[in-house]
Amino acid sequence: MVVGNLELINCDGRRIPELVIFKSVYRFHGTQIEMFCFLVVLMSIMSVVVQAENWSGWRGPNRNAVSSEAHVPIHWSQQEGVRWRVGLPGAGISSPVVWEDRILLTSSDGPRQDDLHIICLARQDGKVLWHQRLWGTAPTRYHVTKSSMASPTPVTDGKHVYAFFGTGDLFCLALDGHLVWHRSLAAEYGQFENRFSATSSPLLYEDMVLVQCDHYGRSYVLAVEKTTGADRWKVDRPDEWLSWSSPQIVPVNQQGTGELLLCGSRKIDAFEPKTGTKLWTVTGMQHECIPTPVFGHGLIYVVSGPGGKTMSIRPGGRGDVSDTHVVWENSHGTPFVPSAILVGDFYYLVDDAGIATCLDAHDGSRVWRRRFPGKYTASPVATAEHIYFCNEEGDTIVLQAKQRKYERVARNRLDEPIFASPAVSQGTPYLRTTHHLFCIGFGAGVP
Amino acid sequence: MNLVFLRNINVALSSLPALVFCVVALLPVLAEETDDIAGLLETIGRVGSQGVGSAMARTASDQLAELDVEILPELLTAMNTPDIVAANWYRTVYERIVFKELEEKDPDFPTEWLQEFIRDASRHGRTRRLVVRLVEELTPGYYQSILPTLLDDTEFRSEAVEFVLDRGTAFQNEGDTESAKLDFQAALKHAREVDQITFAADRLQALGFEFDIARQMGFIMRWYVVGPFDAPGKSGFDKRFPPEESIDLAASYVGVDRSEIQWNLLETKDRLGQVNFVQAIAPTAEAVCYVYTELDSPQQQEVQMRCGADDNLSVWLNGENICSRRQWLNGTRLDRFSVPALLRKGRNRLLVKVCQGPQHQDPAVANNWSMRLRFCDPSGAGVILKSALPESTE
Repeated sequence: MVVGNLELINCDGRRIPELVIFKSVYRFHGTQIEMFCFLVVLMSIMSVVVQAENWSGWRGPNRNAVSSEAHVPIHWSQQEGVRWRVGLPGAGISSPVVWEDRILLTSSDGPRQDDLHIICLARQDGKVLWHQRLWGTAPTRYHVTKSSMASPTPVTDGKHVYAFFGTGDLFCLALDGHLVWHRSLAAEYGQFENRFSATSSPLLYEDMVLVQCDHYGRSYVLAVEKTTGADRWKVDRPDEWLSWSSPQIVPVNQQGTGELLLCGSRKIDAFEPKTGTKLWTVTGMQHECIPTPVFGHGLIYVVSGPGGKTMSIRPGGRGDVSDTHVVWENSHGTPFVPSAILVGDFYYLVDDAGIATCLDAHDGSRVWRRRFPGKYTASPVATAEHIYFCNEEGDTIVLQAKQRKYERVARNRLDEPIFASPAVSQGTPYLRTTHHLFCIGFGAGVP
Repeated sequence: MNLVFLRNINVALSSLPALVFCVVALLPVLAEETDDIAGLLETIGRVGSQGVGSAMARTASDQLAELDVEILPELLTAMNTPDIVAANWYRTVYERIVFKELEEKDPDFPTEWLQEFIRDASRHGRTRRLVVRLVEELTPGYYQSILPTLLDDTEFRSEAVEFVLDRGTAFQNEGDTESAKLDFQAALKHAREVDQITFAADRLQALGFEFDIARQMGFIMRWYVVGPFDAPGKSGFDKRFPPEESIDLAASYVGVDRSEIQWNLLETKDRLGQVNFVQAIAPTAEAVCYVYTELDSPQQQEVQMRCGADDNLSVWLNGENICSRRQWLNGTRLDRFSVPALLRKGRNRLLVKVCQGPQHQDPAVANNWSMRLRFCDPSGAGVILKSALPESTE
């Protein structure tokens, strides 16, 4: 159990589940006053506990890159404010994933980048708990400095981790590191053809893993059963789908239907996630789409650049709803690679060259625009209080969130480039640089 | 003394039935264990697509991982499969056994067998590379020591060529041009990667030796070209023009803006065989052109046809469409597409259609329009073919 940055640990060093704490304390506090005081304290503890989230996959637990946690560190440097850092094998721009006391990462190396790594670290000190090495089926081209076969971020439900690689392989591992199943999508459905390697991060929906396999060849979206790895449904995307975007889920609407969103060349499509049935389309995206859509205020926010536009779209349509469901558009500051972020009433973008733009999420009007230092591949993340933008020079720009006024509160420098989007979990930002994982916070040094 | 000897013989003889019994009794056990290992390996080998057989493979791999390094030969032999899913399940066993043994005070691996495995080029490359890492860990410097012997090895060719190029460069820097020349020539003979080929060719050129890269890589350099045919938007890929019906190198056609267009002979001078249609025809958009050539093959042979185009291309070999890619791409990347092709003995007719899409949304961005095509063996070594274009048209 984690309270802010502290853990409640019992005498044998194991963390105490919340329920155990509740039962044990209740047993020793019998009077009503004591009980009242206890409940007040417990509720305040639990309110913080609720904020202590896992970061279960790409862009966090709600797939919007916003953590509900507060009091997360905003100042650090290479020498200070770093709890630990560990070296990582190979290359990868996938984000770290945090589940309770474990951190999960992927990378790839070898002359063909087909030697794949799924690594589990202890959150406490960064020590390797297990390291599974596997082969990838069919490596593709990749951006030598910005990608490898390990660009997609893995996802976990706390029992298993699902890792997808640009080689066209989807793995399911138990959280103790044992292989549960392996799907070679490249062998079953054809090798990927890609110049930057596949980057789309898998998404968990009910009992399925959803994988968006867009590439120059025969693109498709696939739903496989979490437990067996077998196909639940597959929808071909035969048009010229050129995308590195990740799938997004819109919660169930009044019609009782959730929506699976896939950005691709020139348009965004919505599908019924249980069956893969096509629901609606909105045109107007760029030819090459990378950012992942976000959802909030009952609207879908999509962006594709450079030179493209942000659109906010009302879900729930049927057919081509380009003329009826687009609420607003704005063509300022659209990024090519970094996804945008919706924090409160504001929608923040940073383009690859460092032009940051804040739009009003309700009408798309521009609130402010600033030039940030450096170039950007990583997507921003936010806490309850701040927004973090990491650049390719190792800087993290921290802004005050949820206010109209532009307010930079920190610029923190690490000595290595950052291409991976950070994770925030249990009071701690985790920054993946080109060669290390940094755990930001105070405590023990480098393991 | 004799009595003692006889008594010992007697004891030995009296123990013989027990010994024989033990051996006979143990044999089925040993055989059973061997069968068990083979059975467990087979169980893993039965994993299929769609995750089928994973639960059984998991159980089998857990049991195998309890064993020690003595099963490495069988395990690595089983791992030598093109089935990547089975190979990965075997690998999880391998990693656990190797990790366990490396934790021992005196790890005891069958090193000689492992080294033989590495040298056996018939084994799967990824498995050999896996074993190289282990042997290198046990015997640092081993890999470097065998690299120069692996120049013709499919798996390790690239690193071996790199090693020889580095050595040649060192010779050149030291002024030993003869040794440098020999290394660069060896590298050129075995290299399959364009960066290594061009590097070695440039070094040789600096030493006074010319080298025809395009010929070594099997690029087709001589073509008849006709275009631009009018193809609004991206209609060109599906639209059929007269060269797809029949080849008549003396014919003329109606092109863009109703201009008359004809076949013209083009011999590219690009060292990597690129044919630039912006230069050969015109800087245009929303158009199609065709290139045609005839090649003489000394025998019927299965080869690879590797190509790339900006924006896209379709290829017909002896009238059969062997490659069509609708993607509208930027840049003519080397070997972007690779397809099997069967060359007939004698004359082979090759027709390529290259589409040019709309102008980039930024008018300042020049529209590239180009292609390159070569024939090679599976390793990438060029298949050299003589031009068989009709004499009268050349």
